[in-house]
Amino acid sequence: MMSKAFGAIVILALAVPLAGQWLNYPTPGVPRTADGKPNLSASTPRMADRKPDLSGVWKLENPQQSQFLNIAPSVNGGLPFRPGVADLMKARNADPKTDEPITRCLPVGVVIRHTWPGEVKKIVQNPGLLLILNEYNKSYRQIFTDGRPQPTDPQPAWDGYSIGKWDGDTLVVETTGFRDGQWLDTEGAPLTDAAKIAERFRRLNFGHLEVDITVDDPKAYTKPWATKVNFILAADTDLLEFICLENEKDIKHMNAAVGAVAK
Amino acid sequence: MKTVATLIAAMLAVPLSAQWLNYPTRGVPRTADGKPNLSAPAPRTADGKPDLSGVWDGDHKPPCPPNGCDDTRSVREFLDIGATLKDGLPYRPGIAELTKARRQPPKTDEPITRCLPIGIVERYTHATLRKIVQIPGLLLILNEYNKMYRQIFTDGRPLPVDPLPGWDGYSVGKWEGDTLVVQTTGFRDGIWLDAFGDPMTDAAKITERFRRVDYGHLEIELTVDDPKAYTKPWTVKLYQILAVDTDLLDYICAENEKDIQHMVK
Repeated sequence: MMSKAFGAIVILALAVPLAGQWLNYPTPGVPRTADGKPNLSASTPRMADRKPDLSGVWKLENPQQSQFLNIAPSVNGGLPFRPGVADLMKARNADPKTDEPITRCLPVGVVIRHTWPGEVKKIVQNPGLLLILNEYNKSYRQIFTDGRPQPTDPQPAWDGYSIGKWDGDTLVVETTGFRDGQWLDTEGAPLTDAAKIAERFRRLNFGHLEVDITVDDPKAYTKPWATKVNFILAADTDLLEFICLENEKDIKHMNAAVGAVAK
Repeated sequence: MKTVATLIAAMLAVPLSAQWLNYPTRGVPRTADGKPNLSAPAPRTADGKPDLSGVWDGDHKPPCPPNGCDDTRSVREFLDIGATLKDGLPYRPGIAELTKARRQPPKTDEPITRCLPIGIVERYTHATLRKIVQIPGLLLILNEYNKMYRQIFTDGRPLPVDPLPGWDGYSVGKWEGDTLVVQTTGFRDGIWLDAFGDPMTDAAKITERFRRVDYGHLEIELTVDDPKAYTKPWTVKLYQILAVDTDLLDYICAENEKDIQHMVK
């Protein structure tokens, strides 16, 4: 009973349906129209220091956006693979695809944190620190905005080490120090330990956030490439828990698959 | 194969003594020799309330053995949450048998063994670090273990009447003077409070009273009211000490996981 994509099955089985959120406490501070609905085109909220406040619960503006499944079509000109990467992706996609990190409930990394389709994410902006909270595995990512430099020898990690600086009203985040072997989508587009990722966060108005993502990974790609994710504010709701390993039933089938490969 | 969980902890825990992160923590008062002054007054937020923010480690750990401490040394409440209670935990009938069954080798039902979340109590007693981020209306507790966050709403909202059962439940906090009082309900059933297997059920209410005693010390008075498991509410104090000039590292329990194949029958 090998399925093509364990990862997809896990997602279908466990994703939290947005339509069925149990949480309906009104989000404080959201501007409303006369009929009480959130006014998503109101002006961008700002911190005490007049910088835009990116805080809020966000969901993908276009739920059909498919960067999670395949990021290449969103990249102008497609992904500029180095020789060998196409073969690597072919191998990653071969049945039963048990090496996809999501299949084993491992972390998703900074790009899929943005592109994950079935969940909301929350940004918490604090002087000196920006946090991104995901429902998937109830996991956080830290972005330091206190002026510190990149570490010279970061510990390789799924999220790397991120520092952010304001460029006018745009928060520019640079990340290095990635753990090798990551996937950027379920097609298996790679991210290696040589990667640098730059993100540009722009809150266009109260209800809309745009993140430009540039991936510079000379081990996997011949040149840097960029994609964009657009978010819309999800008012009057909050994060729910999504613990991927909860009620996990796939492992024994995967071990059988691993055994079969070993033979 | 007595305790798989302990084995996992020993293999994967991030060594505190070998933190790669040494960026100086901002705003920490220092003595003349540059060392953090942990007995300076507690910091306060703009509204005058104590600021609980900081990276915290378990305090009052048992003394190191003569050949030195290992990196995964945890407070004794990690093994037994009732360690300081003279008469132990007030089990209801049947709970002693339950904890005994939970401790039977190979102990594969312990959530940590399967890299599931740890509940809000073990988040304070686990050997890895935790970070509190306090902002207006929200307190976050970030743990190295599985890189997980917990939210505590401090914006005045009430507890929900029908919360979605979760590992962390649903938490609201209010200030009483300089003490943050946090109430939590809505727990998923079957949580372990410690490696001993002391239970917490879906009937539990937890009250935490946070007091930052001085710059370097945080006291959490924890009251567990769980009528399905205990005959009466009980209270313990958990102590935290500030970890300066460091930060959280990733601790992904399922990373390089090798135990599952032995556990699956």
